Amino acid sequence: MGLRATRRVDDLLKSRHPYKAWLKKGVRYLQTDLIDPRLAAEPFDGETLAQYQKMFNVSAEERDEIIRVLAEDESEAVGSMGDDTPMPVLSKKVRSLYDYFRQQFAQVTNPPIDSLRESIVMSLQTQIGPEANIFVPAPQHAEQIVLSSPILSQRKLRQIVALAESGVPNEFIDLQYDEHLDLKTALLRVCDQAEAAVRQGKLVLLLSDRYLVKAKLPIHALLATGAVHHRLVATGLRCKCNILVETGTARDAHHFACLIGYGATAVYPYLAYQTLFDLMRQGVLKMEASARQELGRSYRRGIRKGLLKIMSKMGICTVAGYRSAQLFEIVGLGDEVVELCFEGTDSRIQGADFGDLKADSEYLARRAWDKTEPVEQGGLLKYMHNGEYHMYNPDVVATLQSAVMTGDYGQYQEFAGLVNNRPVSCIRDLLNLKAGAAPIPIEEVEPISAILARFDGAGMSLGALSPEAHEALAIAMNALGGRSNSGEGGEDPVRYGTEKNSKIKQVASGRFGVTPEYLINAEVLQIKIAQGAKPGEGGQLPGHKVNDMIARLRFARPGVGLISPPPHHDIYSIEDLAQLIFDLKQVNPKALVSVKLVAEPGVGTVAAGVAKAYADLITISGYDGGTGASPLSSIKYAGTPWELGLAETHQTLRANELRHRVRLQTDGGLKTGLDVIKAALIGAESFGFGTAPMVALGCKYLRICHLNNCATGIATQHNVLRSKYFVGLPEMVINYFKFVARECREIMASMGVRTLAELIGHTELLQISPGETSKQSKLDLKPVLANAALVSDKPQYCIDPHNQPFDRGALAEQMLADMRAAIDAKSGGKFSYPVNNFNRSIGARVSGEIARRWGNAGMSAAPLIVNLQGSAGQSFGVWNAGGLHLNLEGEANDYVGKGMAGGKIILKPHARSIFVARDTVIMGNTCLYGATGGELYAAGRAGERFAVRNSGALAVVEGTGDHCCEYMTGGVVCVLGTTGVNFGAGFTGGFAYVLDMERDFVDRYNHELIDIHRVSPEGMGTHVQHLRGLIEQHTEATGSAWGAQLLNDFRTYIGRFWVVKPKASAIDSLLENLRRAA
Amino acid sequence: MADKHLQFLDIPRKDPDKLRPEVRTKQFREIYSQYSAEAAAQQAGRCISCGNPFCEWKCPVHNYIPNWLALINDGKLFEAAELSHRTNSLPEMCGRICPQDRLCEGACTLNDGLGAVSIGAIEKYITDEAFRLGWKPDMSNVVRTAKRVAIVGAGPAGLACADVLVRNGVKPVVFDRYAKIGGLLTFGIPPFKLEKEVVEKRREIMEDMGVEFRLNVDVGRDIAFEQLAGEFDAVFLGMGTYNYVKGGFDGEDLPGVHEALPYLISNINRELGLERDGADFVDMKGKHVVVLGGGDTGMDCNRTAIRQGAASVSCTYRRDEANMPGSRRDYRNSKEEGVTFLFNRQPIEIVGVDRVQGVKLVETRLGPPGPRGRRVPEVVPGTEETIAADAVIIAFGFLPSPADWFESHKIDLHGNGRVRVSGAPQSRFQTTNPKIFAGGDMVRGSDLVVTAVFEGREAAEGILRHLGLRKEAS
Repeated sequence: MGLRATRRVDDLLKSRHPYKAWLKKGVRYLQTDLIDPRLAAEPFDGETLAQYQKMFNVSAEERDEIIRVLAEDESEAVGSMGDDTPMPVLSKKVRSLYDYFRQQFAQVTNPPIDSLRESIVMSLQTQIGPEANIFVPAPQHAEQIVLSSPILSQRKLRQIVALAESGVPNEFIDLQYDEHLDLKTALLRVCDQAEAAVRQGKLVLLLSDRYLVKAKLPIHALLATGAVHHRLVATGLRCKCNILVETGTARDAHHFACLIGYGATAVYPYLAYQTLFDLMRQGVLKMEASARQELGRSYRRGIRKGLLKIMSKMGICTVAGYRSAQLFEIVGLGDEVVELCFEGTDSRIQGADFGDLKADSEYLARRAWDKTEPVEQGGLLKYMHNGEYHMYNPDVVATLQSAVMTGDYGQYQEFAGLVNNRPVSCIRDLLNLKAGAAPIPIEEVEPISAILARFDGAGMSLGALSPEAHEALAIAMNALGGRSNSGEGGEDPVRYGTEKNSKIKQVASGRFGVTPEYLINAEVLQIKIAQGAKPGEGGQLPGHKVNDMIARLRFARPGVGLISPPPHHDIYSIEDLAQLIFDLKQVNPKALVSVKLVAEPGVGTVAAGVAKAYADLITISGYDGGTGASPLSSIKYAGTPWELGLAETHQTLRANELRHRVRLQTDGGLKTGLDVIKAALIGAESFGFGTAPMVALGCKYLRICHLNNCATGIATQHNVLRSKYFVGLPEMVINYFKFVARECREIMASMGVRTLAELIGHTELLQISPGETSKQSKLDLKPVLANAALVSDKPQYCIDPHNQPFDRGALAEQMLADMRAAIDAKSGGKFSYPVNNFNRSIGARVSGEIARRWGNAGMSAAPLIVNLQGSAGQSFGVWNAGGLHLNLEGEANDYVGKGMAGGKIILKPHARSIFVARDTVIMGNTCLYGATGGELYAAGRAGERFAVRNSGALAVVEGTGDHCCEYMTGGVVCVLGTTGVNFGAGFTGGFAYVLDMERDFVDRYNHELIDIHRVSPEGMGTHVQHLRGLIEQHTEATGSAWGAQLLNDFRTYIGRFWVVKPKASAIDSLLENLRRAA
Repeated sequence: MADKHLQFLDIPRKDPDKLRPEVRTKQFREIYSQYSAEAAAQQAGRCISCGNPFCEWKCPVHNYIPNWLALINDGKLFEAAELSHRTNSLPEMCGRICPQDRLCEGACTLNDGLGAVSIGAIEKYITDEAFRLGWKPDMSNVVRTAKRVAIVGAGPAGLACADVLVRNGVKPVVFDRYAKIGGLLTFGIPPFKLEKEVVEKRREIMEDMGVEFRLNVDVGRDIAFEQLAGEFDAVFLGMGTYNYVKGGFDGEDLPGVHEALPYLISNINRELGLERDGADFVDMKGKHVVVLGGGDTGMDCNRTAIRQGAASVSCTYRRDEANMPGSRRDYRNSKEEGVTFLFNRQPIEIVGVDRVQGVKLVETRLGPPGPRGRRVPEVVPGTEETIAADAVIIAFGFLPSPADWFESHKIDLHGNGRVRVSGAPQSRFQTTNPKIFAGGDMVRGSDLVVTAVFEGREAAEGILRHLGLRKEAS
């Protein structure tokens, strides 16, 4: 009934006006020639190009490492490690204005999107034309010019400008201003011109810095775009016009995102094109002659991908939804700039004003017009002499390595001196310990063991790291009494219970190797919501790093790249996160559950939610964390300093009386004892270290982790490099952490403090230094120190040993009590319970105990058979272990069989139900997510994202929603009915059978990585047999009427089945692989 | 093709071919050949382009090494030459004579058993080949100013200073007391390490750029310093260090005992046909030679004596092999050419009646580190021995040799005779006389060519600021 009513309303609405005719008449598409040979119709000569490059601060490094890669690879350049340069406001170099803008990203409150695998929901379509009142339907709404993307080619820009004659009048607004004018006045003049033009009826405003003039300076296009946008909003004119930007400032995807985020409709990046043209002219680009013709198009493709990625980080699908949304945090611009140009954007610590920005462009202009000055070589991405300061420069790396190798504390002090006295590079460098406290003898300070217990390794996966390096870190942390972190990617079970066991086991979006046994062998279970180096993004382990061992631990196939999705598919809200925390606490009640977040505005609120969701530990990461591989623009432009995030979190938790319930950790570029002390003062009681211990092991910060050629044998799976050139020993890491703890003790003694706990949250012990530069001196860091102003009697650190969930899981405890003896005796048995939808994570408590006693599959031979009746709550059968068989009569909520490693789950409708089972949903969304084994039979349909990231489970269902089998790497999925769209995106292993009665599956699957084949009796006898066997098992287990019908008329139906498999797998090998896996 | 990223594993380091010892000791020509373009590209392609270029960091002039290696790998020779000259005024010489094993190549990430990238050989290849194919520094954008700067000394510091100045429109006039430019590059370093055509080529290039050389002019004798100071807008002093460190033992004045530099200069003068008086030439043919000192100069003396046909050459050094300061490459080459090394030996006397007959040595062992961190050798009592010698060369290093006119021009010195200069970024290498700048060995004490180049360049930046031609970054 409901459905029919909706359709009737739709019909009524769509027939009210001749919308289609309006569209046909009104919409104009700009001609797209496949090839636009005029990348730069008026090419700059070398001298002019250099002048523009100097004016807009394009270095040789940016040209070669960013712009060139975009055109050559049609995607953004990939890098590794983290951003170890100062934020632009702290820098002593002239940095791009765009660098002050940090992209916002979704964490917990809404999911990011995978713009690559789920491209069907993404769009960059852009319209030019006025926006009228949508409540008054009229043909004018359709008078739009439609562009496929907001990145303009020269031809398109020309076409738009030429439209003036056909009723799209435009106004050229020159961004050059007299160098004697101040920047604010110049901006106001631009705004005045824009406003007047729109009042005269101009539809397109073309802001341009294309024509440099001596003795004039260009207003930065982003300042102008933002200021004009806000002026037009304030004067009610905004919907009457579009802002186009012709600028030399836009080169990478982030630049475009900023311009569009502050109101630009489309951008013409002429300097990027000119630079590419010049590279082509020099013969530097490595590409076919024909491809050269399409250089601009290749570049735009790269930018488009980047733009989609930036939007998807916030979970936004269309560029129309991103435009003017201002989804950034500004770090380091003063109020006068923000108020005029970027009003409404978070900007918490002040910084550069118009005077500083003008001084920057004066400096650039002086160089631009001086022909003897060369184009800058660079230094922003990699250390370069006289370039930007790098916190892990060769001096720092070399001194640390020699200190840990010799074990000489004097050399460590030299290292600590280099770090602690570096030029201001981090916010904490502007916060000094107040002098004047009466020191105490060092013997009175707590021992280093107490401090070491607060140190954790940051998550670095086996896969990114070589096993030797990964194990060395684990051995070292265990010896010290700290904790190492497995990272995402599983852990070899032979390490469990030994000195090589990682006490922190990570649960990330890929759920690689997350089994009940893995979860049980942990003191801390860390849910990685985001990673400092690339928040809002997933990851990819390139195929060349997936050797046999990695494939085994991740339940995947060697040589095939592995994708970690941007979102956790079981966390789309804070309630979902609470559910995952509950799942983990059920399977391993002794473990602390930790949630890793990345600093951004509002992270305090998120953290308060996480604390209320019963996490025991929260990590706040800074932007400067490392990564094994990530687009460079993610490393550089997302996430904020942990100082801001930690301060906000600590203050929010205290203000909401939650601080005593959770431990608070910070990580991101921590190197010395002084870093630890400052982090404690801002509010952390625990400290994560990623890069520094890796450097101690011999990493030289080469930033080539993604290439598998790490010459130090750390971030590689290459046998020769690992065996011959890895020199790291756990002792080096141990030396490092002991040095750090020793330095902490010395500082504590000098402060007159006996325990680290006494320091936590005491921001009054910090004082703000005036800074070394004009920009630094304008920062306002008081918000970081605001904790001191909060009431003082509230706890500053965690007091509760566990953050006990409200739901005590009564049924689960009952089940375990009933089955305990059967588990201990490995004897199996039969049990029956009624179940209700408030009984969550049923089975996990038992699976955990099975895994603790017998491992993942240990009870398979003597199963516990559990018959349940009713509606199961969320996460039914989560982390199911071998030997646990759950038979449910009724239905289940989301996450059935999530992380299942073995055993069986059988769902059938209630015997007295009257609906048609195969048309009805019997389980919710995201079932079998990350499953590694076991079997699931369900007489009914599954919801969206069935078997996402399945890597070993066998499942038979009678229909699924969208995105079935996404990122699947193993196992078999048999769908006896219709699937939703985007079936099998990112599917690299295992296979599926799909019954296609409607003959439309070909439009429903994602063609990127998989292909489909008809099941036919000829030549595919084994598949026919296998499929029939699956349906028989299904029918037997569930009593499915549909299954019985299929078997009854199998010859008719067999030709309607597809085998779905990765393109990389041969069809004949599928069943062979299956046997081998079993 | 094999994985580009693993080229450093698949292709081993390969230095350019080297002449066999029995061939090379017959002549005073360079012993290394040049890479082919293919070999250079392949060797350059071994660079893994570290995120932390340790080579660049360790290089005293901070050459953009990974960047020009990438250009050579791409076959972009002229671009590489241009980039190489951005940071170094004499790359073809540094490529030949820098102790790369202690600098860039020593710091190379691949130097942990994988074989460092052959940076020095490629650096030499770049400029040699670019010159051969007609490349010249591009001076077309230079806007000439009216400023003129006098440079005293055409050694590495002076040449580097002139290079930076002329590229910024300032006219450098370089004075040198010798007939050729180069200072020690020409007269100190033997031709088997640096052929003099290379220095001549650099002279041509620099003259073409607008540098004026006034040779055979000894400032202070042939022309008064007042005249320079009055005539020019600024003066740069790059006069090196020429006082010899003495052994302080008996017999140093005996005939047959030579100081290193005059010995080397006399040999080069003969090679270059610049000899004024045949009597100046010191010939080691058929002699048993003992060289005292294990530095680079000592190595040069060893190998010169070998080439002159010495009957034997022994070299003594008071510390052990590992602590010897000279380039490892020169040490290896010396050994190949037949030099005998005596480590942990300290001379205490040169014996002989009316000419040298032998050197009395005593054994040493390394004691605790001294104030500068290096372990100080201690004499082992009762270990004296005398080895026979027909000639002894003393190569203990050099001390500053301040000119007598410094004081009257308010050029202050440190206690040990080094010239005192400013370290402030605004006035780099300015002496206590604001108009006069100085750099190189006379400022820092006897050191490498490449550090002199760096100081000359830095001083030029200081001069440009002093003349109001440069402003600081914001």
